[in-house]
Amino acid sequence: METNLKNLALKWLVAEPEKAQIASEYYCQTRDVFEARNNKVPDELIQKGMDDDLAYLIYSMLGEIGNNSFDHNLANWPNIPGVFFAVEYDGKIGRAIIADRGLGVLNTLRKAVPDLENDEEALELAFTKKISSRVFENRGNGLKFVKNNIAANNLLLEFSSGDAQVVINHNMNKNKLENRVDGCLVILNF
Amino acid sequence: MLSNFKLLNHMKIEIKNFGDKLVSRPAGREAFLALESYQLKGLSENEPIEIDFAGIKALTPSWADEVVTKIAERFKNVKLLNADSMTVQATLKTLREYSNLKI
Repeated sequence: METNLKNLALKWLVAEPEKAQIASEYYCQTRDVFEARNNKVPDELIQKGMDDDLAYLIYSMLGEIGNNSFDHNLANWPNIPGVFFAVEYDGKIGRAIIADRGLGVLNTLRKAVPDLENDEEALELAFTKKISSRVFENRGNGLKFVKNNIAANNLLLEFSSGDAQVVINHNMNKNKLENRVDGCLVILNF
Repeated sequence: MLSNFKLLNHMKIEIKNFGDKLVSRPAGREAFLALESYQLKGLSENEPIEIDFAGIKALTPSWADEVVTKIAERFKNVKLLNADSMTVQATLKTLREYSNLKI
């Protein structure tokens, strides 16, 4: 499986704004571009032999993750708007990567829960409790949907933000990152 | 032309009229605004409502929260039809667990 995609995403995430470069095929500056590209994903997975139900489920999960980046950073991107989005599948195993240079989970959730102490606490909250930082919008269940479906379909998710990472399959494990990710880096393995 | 229709004493909302892949919250919001302006306009809270998921390939909690949850909050007699696909089931499970969806 290609590991360059993860390196490309990481390189883009940590680069100084003026030096951050990204191939246009992976860059979705707006939600419309992201959705148009994600709309092609289920057909591409099905053509390579994936079961229809799983292909549409993965598409739905990627939709929730990618749209979260736009929902929570709209008009507040620290420097570069949009997401890195790439999907690869060889007919047996696959991987989808969504990364953004946004505010990150901790800064986003602190609007609703000011006493959150660190990135690890924020990630745990995002995946396990009903919460949304959007004013006037008492919602926020997309990541719970993602988490439920990972366990049910034997997938693996790595979600990094700040100096914390959660790795989810049948359990949720938390790691401390040596190199910070300002924004989010999400890798769905299937 | 939208084919949501009212027969006898119930309103049937065919979700596929909004597309077969329903993902983002803004798109769900648009869909509910359209329903509010036409199909649901003037209906009493006791009006029987059927939400039909036939033909839906993908559905997320973000989209459904803006439509299904809001319809269920407004009307007392809501029934779900053809809700068997994997993403519809997974979405309804999440909404029941985290959005207090009662249907």
